Amino acid sequence: MSGLADTFSNFISRQTGARSVRVVEFDRLSGGAIQDNFGLTLELEGGDRPGRQAFVIRQDAPSGVAESLSRPEEFRVLQAAFEAGVTAPEPLWLCEDTEVSGRVFYVMTRASGSASPRKLVKGDLTEDQRRHLVCRFGAELARLHTVRPPVASLDFLAMPEPENPALSRVALYRRYLEEIGEPHPVLEWALNWLEDHAPEPGPTVLCHCDFRTGNYMVDGGELTAVLDWEFAAWSDPCEDLGWLCSRSWRFGGDARVVGGIGDKQDLLDSYREVSGVDLDPASVSYWEVMALVRWAMIALQQARRHMSGEQRSLELALTGRMVAQMEYDLLNQIPELEEAQ
Amino acid sequence: MINEPDTRDLLAEARQVLLDSLAPELAGERKYQALMIANAMGVAIREIEQREQGEPETTDRSLSHFLAGHQLPDNPEQGEQTLARALRERRLDGSEPELRLVLRGMTEARLRINNPGYLKSSGQSNTV
Repeated sequence: MSGLADTFSNFISRQTGARSVRVVEFDRLSGGAIQDNFGLTLELEGGDRPGRQAFVIRQDAPSGVAESLSRPEEFRVLQAAFEAGVTAPEPLWLCEDTEVSGRVFYVMTRASGSASPRKLVKGDLTEDQRRHLVCRFGAELARLHTVRPPVASLDFLAMPEPENPALSRVALYRRYLEEIGEPHPVLEWALNWLEDHAPEPGPTVLCHCDFRTGNYMVDGGELTAVLDWEFAAWSDPCEDLGWLCSRSWRFGGDARVVGGIGDKQDLLDSYREVSGVDLDPASVSYWEVMALVRWAMIALQQARRHMSGEQRSLELALTGRMVAQMEYDLLNQIPELEEAQ
Repeated sequence: MINEPDTRDLLAEARQVLLDSLAPELAGERKYQALMIANAMGVAIREIEQREQGEPETTDRSLSHFLAGHQLPDNPEQGEQTLARALRERRLDGSEPELRLVLRGMTEARLRINNPGYLKSSGQSNTV
């Protein structure tokens, strides 16, 4: 570990042009099933960023899931989001030279606070803080969704094919199920429903595609950073809102639809205030169903990584056994939507 | 061959020791790992119990009955495969209540093994 700390601190020192550098703290950060994340606090003398500075280094883990971006791609997405005014860690330097640490990595600023879902959902946030946070979510997504194709630096992101992002997802997930090779009648049934009920798509925008409780940092009730950009894609704006509201990410706070934190109306209102766009709540509900299918797909892929021996892990194995939860939610949520129509 | 105490008993006791004696002494990542192990053992225990009670056969029977009623091949080993394929090929009406009941039956049987608390917390098993 200390070898890595020196490697990264020397890299940062060179990038900033510091006269000298001292490692204050270096640790592996939890929460990256797909990436290796390290926290590095340095005392820098001279250069562009003098003084005590906290960084996060994100590098590829041995294996990834089908949808995830490479580190250089993620770095460019983060740059685009940061420039659009999203509260995200500032992307600083990308290192594609594997001679430096053995893997491709990038460095970003470290946000303060915690991303722990349990702390947030079961914690002591006041009603005002909860509401404020939900409004921040809406505002952040509205700003992110101003990024629209074509963007030269994001030319690696494929446009939805077919053009309707929902139908594009349905086709993709059917392919995944085919590849996984395990029968999942409930998921097939839900995919048929999603195909038959796809709403008119909104504009195609840059979506985070994993914006949920657990993937943003909060400090003293204030949002400090939106994290984990590896699934970003061109899609329908409602995909991000549906994912955030999905039952899978409420962490026991089921009555608070938006990530176990607050109400959907506040989310839609703040989105409208910043973007001027009135999203159809029925479309968001549709994408909540899509979110359940997508999370089931990811869970199946994670279990396969364990079962194939690519990455033996109890956590990945148990994730495979969670698929029945998403299937159960689908069996409840689809009839609820049908009744509401 | 008699080999007692049986597997279920061994697993249940080992899980209890883990939860009562070891987990309280642990913190952070180690505690998380201990709870994951207890979770995995709980799944295995419930799976053994369900098998002993013949629950998988009951679920298979209702699937089998559904497939026969829809002129679909009913191979006991491949019932779910057949159902998944028929749905993929759009040969079944997704709004049919009997289909939804069969899907729910299979899913609830899995949840009773994987996470019975999830069924209780949702409490919507009458919605089809």
